[in-house]
Formats: sequence, structure tokens, C-alpha cells
Amino acid sequence: MEASSNSPLSVSIDFETSHLFFPHIIHWVLAVLFVLVLLFRVAPFLAAVKRGEKALPILGESRDNFRFFGTLVLIVAYFYLMSVVGNFFPYTGYGFLITSVVFLFLMSLMYMHTRTRRKVVTAAINAVVAPTLAWVIFAKVFYITLP
Amino acid sequence: MSNARLVKGIGVSAMMAAMALGSSYAMAVDGPLRGNVRVVIGSSSTGGDTYQNASIVVDELSEKLDLNMKVDAVGVSAAYNALQRDPRGNTLMIFHDQSYLGHLYGVQGYEDPFENYIIGPTIAINPGNAYLVPKDSPYQTLDDIIAAVGEGETVRVAIQPGGVSEIGYTALKNAIRILHPGAEENLVAVNTGSQSDKNQLLFDDQADLINGSVQANEQYTRLPEDDQKAMRFVWLTARHDTLAQANEEGLGQTDRETLLQFAEPNVQVTMGDDQNFAFDKEFFFLYNKDMDPAIVEQIDTALEEIYAEGEIQETQKRSFFIPDFMASSESQEYLRDKAERYEGIIESLQE
Amino acid sequence: MMDILSQLDFTFFLLASIGTLIGIIFGAIPGMTATMAVAVCLPLTYALGLEHGLSLLLGLYVGGISGGMVPAVLLNIPGTPSSITTTFDGYPMAQKGEGERALRVCVVASLVGGLISAAVLFLFAPLLAEFSIKFSYVEKFLIILLALTVIASMSNNMLVGIFSGAIGVWLSLIGTYSLSDGGNGNTRLMFDFMEPYLFEGFSLLPVLIGIFGISTILLEAESGVKSSLTGQKIKIGKEGGFSLSIFKGRLTNLVRSSFIGTFVGMLPGVGGSAASVLAYTQEKNLSRDSSEMGKGAPQGLIASESANNALTGGALIPLLSLGIPGDSTTAVLIGAFTLQGIQVGPLFIPENTDTWYIMMVALVAANIVMFLLMFYAIKYIARVVLVPKYLLYPLIVMMCVVGAYAINYGIMFDVWTLMIFGVLGYLVQKVGLEVAPLIIGFILGSSAEVYFVKSLESFGTLSIFFTKSPIAVVLWGLIAASVIFSIVMGLKSRTRRQLEMSQ
Repeated sequence: MEASSNSPLSVSIDFETSHLFFPHIIHWVLAVLFVLVLLFRVAPFLAAVKRGEKALPILGESRDNFRFFGTLVLIVAYFYLMSVVGNFFPYTGYGFLITSVVFLFLMSLMYMHTRTRRKVVTAAINAVVAPTLAWVIFAKVFYITLP
Repeated sequence: MSNARLVKGIGVSAMMAAMALGSSYAMAVDGPLRGNVRVVIGSSSTGGDTYQNASIVVDELSEKLDLNMKVDAVGVSAAYNALQRDPRGNTLMIFHDQSYLGHLYGVQGYEDPFENYIIGPTIAINPGNAYLVPKDSPYQTLDDIIAAVGEGETVRVAIQPGGVSEIGYTALKNAIRILHPGAEENLVAVNTGSQSDKNQLLFDDQADLINGSVQANEQYTRLPEDDQKAMRFVWLTARHDTLAQANEEGLGQTDRETLLQFAEPNVQVTMGDDQNFAFDKEFFFLYNKDMDPAIVEQIDTALEEIYAEGEIQETQKRSFFIPDFMASSESQEYLRDKAERYEGIIESLQE
Repeated sequence: MMDILSQLDFTFFLLASIGTLIGIIFGAIPGMTATMAVAVCLPLTYALGLEHGLSLLLGLYVGGISGGMVPAVLLNIPGTPSSITTTFDGYPMAQKGEGERALRVCVVASLVGGLISAAVLFLFAPLLAEFSIKFSYVEKFLIILLALTVIASMSNNMLVGIFSGAIGVWLSLIGTYSLSDGGNGNTRLMFDFMEPYLFEGFSLLPVLIGIFGISTILLEAESGVKSSLTGQKIKIGKEGGFSLSIFKGRLTNLVRSSFIGTFVGMLPGVGGSAASVLAYTQEKNLSRDSSEMGKGAPQGLIASESANNALTGGALIPLLSLGIPGDSTTAVLIGAFTLQGIQVGPLFIPENTDTWYIMMVALVAANIVMFLLMFYAIKYIARVVLVPKYLLYPLIVMMCVVGAYAINYGIMFDVWTLMIFGVLGYLVQKVGLEVAPLIIGFILGSSAEVYFVKSLESFGTLSIFFTKSPIAVVLWGLIAASVIFSIVMGLKSRTRRQLEMSQ
């Protein structure tokens, strides 16, 4: 760092580069902590994995792949399509409304373990009513801009 | 599958509902601008002067054009992003001199607005940009400060760098350079942020002069001298003629007459060649580069009518803003001139 | 005086109640905040006139801050940034089936916090304003540092906790060193192509609801969304097992946290969320039986909620006696005054005594209405956990989207921030880092930077942090106490663990 001459504690900061001053400190702190974490946490943990006492996170765990990746894909598609659809109807909130209805319904279906007629109908009603209500309240009553 | 059919059904019905609603909006207007319009501003505060000015004008405009219009305080970077992406005219922007000053000062994220956008009509001026000293300061006037700096005294000025708050400081420094060449180094900027930070530097004796505004600091000037918080105006950067249009009562308990004492020609900050520096913080529209010229015209006409009716001026003056309407063609030329003048001052200090 | 009474009509109290109700709803929706509630209702006040307008807005403010407790306790998503510490104890309680009890504790604590801060505001506003301007960059940095020490005491493993906190600070620095904070406006910690999106960095609220809300859903999805209800069981019985005796022996905590909340609220720029974090730290450090905190102890809720409601009165102090907003909501509130052509500044109270009294009445009324509404509605609100997950989770995602998109008045990147931090939050928990310290680092990181760098810029020496003022020395004392305490606690729990292991 830009230490100066007269006292060990004095610091002078150039305004032009002052945006890097604090991040620089944090990088050092992170680096030191990272080494410590490696030594005291990660190394013992990996040793335990090698001995077969523990499993690696994410890779070595069981997972409901359909629901996990399904959730990721659905959310990404929802966010993306919201602005695409919204672009056809500038600042009306229809993008939000239309994609939310579809998203809510699909996500509900995905999370159900047994799809009885009753459950599906509840999900459908929920998928139509909730976004509409949100849209009416926020876009129409409070004039909040929605995609 | 019944489920699949349901999905499709929901999608279709939502789409149809949306279409029906959407068409009813489009039917309402005949002008080139249609649908809902969003006016983004270069400030993220809904309590600030940009928001206030924008909402005064947008309310009137929305009524005149019979459109849904809404002001959104998204901040500089997001506002430019939104504007750049929408050539249809559904996104408009209102901002002030910061748009080109930020570019002239080389602040990251500010492109040249004259190159990248269409400059729209001006709408109002905030004449409140001010410089203040502590009430017990040895400097009575700005001339005292210029003279003191000329004699080698260091004067620290608290400003927010890179724009409207800095321009007065730059002009002052330039004036000192002209009057006392070489001494301008003694005028030092203390870079800080919000108004409260600037005030705080004055209270802590970390600054001798601060940038502020009539609106935010007027009450501080009325505190008794023994109060640590008491301040005194030494300079209002607005032009005399601008300030003279304010309501006679001025602001708070300080009337227009008193305020005028701190503006040119009483206070002189030379730019050389017998020219005096003055700065009016002007608010104006910015449009997407590829927006239909018919929309530019439509808004110009609508605003012209609004300003001709004369009511909006009263609303603006009540909030200590000066009405200042110039149609697009006029304002483009005017603001370009203004920017060039300040470019000169900023550059002369960088040599 | 007659003037005031004539203003206090039925409409006045009705507006305060409506405001509080709308505020609670905004606060309770993850991502919708008190600030937003005040901002969207601001245009209404022009038609209402100043006094009636203020009663509505103050209702929104108080309601919005309190409403944040609901999703914090029931869903582990802080409804507003200042309810973050409420999740630490509230959610564990809700999982034990004590959601209703937890909420009732919160409501009572909120009421006390709100009323204490209103009293402080009324009695000492000008005096405290005088005191608050003694806090320059140096002292403010030390306050932030003190709040950061909570990271050490609340993490399960101190090393990992501090590492997570540092990551949080690092994340908060992405974007510009903001001009409006006095920085130089340059971006750092990113590539050029990210600039259009990340110019202002990640905004707090989407980060919060992403890391709490979306990542919870991802974790659930991974395990297959097994049990269909969020709450395993709900304690039935009168008032969900709540009685005022919970507050027995907690009076010090309640009062201390209220004062901390008021005090932090009063310091412009330090930010609302620091208040509850600081109150939580102090309870953790000073209380004799703090080992249960973070696992579902009502005392954590008391500290957090009384402090965050005390913010309201606190943040109004600099607004009304210096013209400077104490937090983001009061910054919007300024608009209500300027719209009516009234200036706020050091002379506001002496020059507008009537308005000042009316505001006080509205503030107290809003707190009482908040209490009544919440206390009796809780029974029904707490049933949210009975909604099947396949309906509840999609709804949460949708509301998070509305909140994230609306928080900065319509920025699509804020919605993507939800996703980014949802995934990050998931990964962080998977690799064994700690979420709470990370988020506290994120909340406090950027102000720590500004105050630290600005102090050094003005004084040019590190020694200023020790020699600036008596206040600085006191703050160092508190910081040292907090650090020593957490080390002692850490050692204690380690030896206990070793004892258990050896047995």
C-alpha cells in the first residue's frame, strides 16, 4: 500500500485510485483467511473423504435431479421470458402477468408428488388468481412499474 | 393429458386478456407516441429536485397527451441503459446538466449526451446551487476567499466530485488562476458525497467552504452565530436574471432580495475577457437516438401548450424552481453552447 | 393548540391505520419494503394535505418496518433488510412449531421499541441531533466495525465465519466507488462487459431475498420437496404458547435494544440494518444465557425487533432537526415536506410546532395500530406454513420477482441478482460456508469502505482511529469487549465439545 515516510501509521491515498484501496486490503484479508481455511478445514475434510468417512459436497450427494434442475431451468426461463414478453407491451406489466401464470402452474405441477385432479385444479386456480391479484394491486393501484 | 390442455388453456386465456387490455390502451391516442410511457431520471432519490421537477412536468404531460406516464427514479446508469434499449419512445429520460458535466469531468459511465442521445426540451431551473462558509468564518465574501487564496492561504472546499457540485469550485479555481496565477493550487477540493457529509466536514472544521443549496441550507444560515452548525451563504451560482424570477418571498425566511446579494453581478467570478461565470442547473428531456422525430415534435407541442396555459409555472415557483421551457431545437443549441463554455474552464485548469 | 386538535379528526386516525395496514402488507412481502410503501403513496399526500399525508406516511413507515418480521420468522426470508437478525431465531422457532409464539414476541418487542424511540424523539430530538454531528467518518467507521464483530460471535466456526464475512464484504465492493458517497466513481472488481449491469453493484434487497428465499427453494428442490408442508407441526393452544412471562428478565434487553435502534437510526448513512445487527450483538455479548441464540431463543427476537422498530423514531431525529434523513425511508419522506413547500432543517421544529406535535401523535398512533392489527391477526398469518409447498414456493418466487424488480423502480438486472445469489447461497451452504456472516459482511461492507477510506483521506494516518475523540475510545472499548467475548465463547464451546467427544 501507499505507505509514506514520517510515521509507520501514516497513509496517503490518491483520490484517483482510491477506489482500489479498500478492495486491495480485502484481497489480502481473503487470501490469508483462505490459506487458514485450507489448512484447518479443507485439508482435514479431504483427508476424511479419502478415508471414506465423509462425502464431497454437491458431487458426492444424492439429489432429486429432476426437481433441482427443473427449478433452475424454470426460473431462468421465467426471468428471461418475462422481459421478452414484456417488451411487446411496454410498461403495462403484461410480461410479468402472462409469464407468471405459466410459471406458477408449471412449478406447482413439478413440485407435486401425486397429481390428483383436485390438486391440479387448485394449482391452476392459484396460478391464475395470484399473479392477476399481484398485477392489479401493484401495477394498477400503486402504479409500480412491472416488466 | 388433461394437464397439458390446462396449461395451454391458461396460457391462451391470459394472452387474450392481455391483448384485449392492450388494445384498449392503444386506441386511446392518435399521436405517434402510444402505449404506456416511462420517464426514467438520472437520480435514484424520490426526494430530490430531479424527481420533483420530472413529476411536475410528467403529470401535466400525461394529462395533455392522454397517456399513462410514470416517473421512475432508477439512477444514472440504469436510466441510460433503459433509454438506449428503447427507440419506440416508450422510455424517455429527464436529467440535468450533470449529463454533460459528468462527461466533461471524465466520470466513468457518462458518455457524451450530444453524441449518443437526442436532447429534448428544457423544462425548469433549480437556482439553489450555493456555496457556504461557517457563520464565524473570517471570510465575509467570495472576494475575501479569492484574495486570501491569492496570498497563499489554503482554503478547503467540500464538493461532490464530477459534476454540478464541482463546477462552481472549478470556476472559482479558474478565476483565481486568472487573478493570481499560480495561487490556484491553494484552493483544495475535499471530495465527499451527500449534503450531510459536506455539512459534517464544515462542523468538523475539515473544510472552509462547502457546496450546498438554498433549499437544504437556508435554515442553517438562520442559526445564531454561537451554534456550531451555523452557516452563511457567500455565493449562489445562478444567473441574476434567473434568480430574479423566483417568488418574492424567496425560500423559508430568506427573501429573494437577500438571495440576490449572493449572486452575480454582486459576486463576481471571472472567466476572463470580462465574462462572469454563472451556472443554472437546468432540467431537460433526453431521448433515444433513433426515436421517431414525430414524437419529439409531439412532446414539444404538448409542452408548449402546457407552458402557454401558465399554470405549471405557478406550481414550479411554489417549489422554488424557475420555469424554463425551450423547445428541442432551441434547447439543443443552447445546451451545446453551455457545455462548450464549461468545457473551456475545465480544460484551462488541466493544462 | 386548538389548531392541532382540529387536525386530529377521525380521518387522521383512519389514515394512520390504513397506512399501517398497507405498510404491514408491503413489509410482509419479501422484497417489498417500507421505503417502497412510502414512495408509492407519496403522490397521494399532495391531495391529502400535509398533516393527513404525514399520518398516512408515518403509518406506512412503522407498518412496513414491522411487517418484515412475518416472512423472516415463517419463511426464513427477511421481509426488509432490517429484519435479517429476526430470521436467526425466528425461523428455528417456526420450525419447532412455535411460529405464532415467535411472532407475538416480535410484535410486543416492536411496540416497545417504537414507543421508546418515539419518546426519545419527542423529548431529546434537538439535543441528540447536536450529539449525532459529533460522529464523523472515523466514529461511523468504528460503529460499523463494532457491528461487524457480531460475525465472530455468531458463526459456528469462527474461522469459517470470518472468511464468509470477508467474502460478503468483497461482494459488496463490486461496482463503482460511488460518487454520491464521495468516491471517485470508478468501477472495480469486474470485467468491462459487466459494466452496464453491475455499474452500481448488486443491490441489497435482491441479494437478501435471493440468498435466503431462492436458495432455500433450491435446497428443497434438491431434496425433492418431500414433506408437503413447511411447518412440521403447529402448537395449538391459546395464543400459540405465548405469554408475557417470556419478557420476564428481558427488560434490560428490550430497553437496551430500543436505545441502540434509536441511536443507530439517528446516524445518517450508517443504515437501518446495522441497528438490529448491533442490538443482536450486544444481547449476545452481554446476556448471561446467550448460548441458545441463533437456535430459536426469544431473546434474539426481542433484540432484533425492538431495535428495528426503534429505528423509526431514531431516523426521524436528524430529518426533523438537521434536515438530513437517517435512513432510506426518511429520505423519501423528505419528499412529502418539499411537495408541500415545507423545508426540513435545524429550524423545522421551532418553526412548525403544530406539525411536529401532529407527527408525534401519528407516530404513536401508528405503533399502537400496528400492535393491535398484528397481535390479533397473527393467529391467521401464522397459518401460512400450512399452505402446501407446491403452491407456496412458486408464489414466493413470484413475489420475490415483484419486490426485486420494483425496489429500484424497475431494473431487470435486480431480478437476475435474485437468481445469481440464489445459486450462490445454495453453493455457499453446500461447501460449508456460513450465510449469515456473509450477508452481514455484504450489508456493512460498502459503508465500512467509505468511512475507512475517507477517514484516512482526511487525516492521513491510521492513528486517527484511536485519537480522534473520546467517543472513538469508547467504541474501541466496546469492540475489544465484543471480540474478547466471542473468543472466550468460542474456546468454551470447543472445550465442551471435546469433553463430549472424550466421554
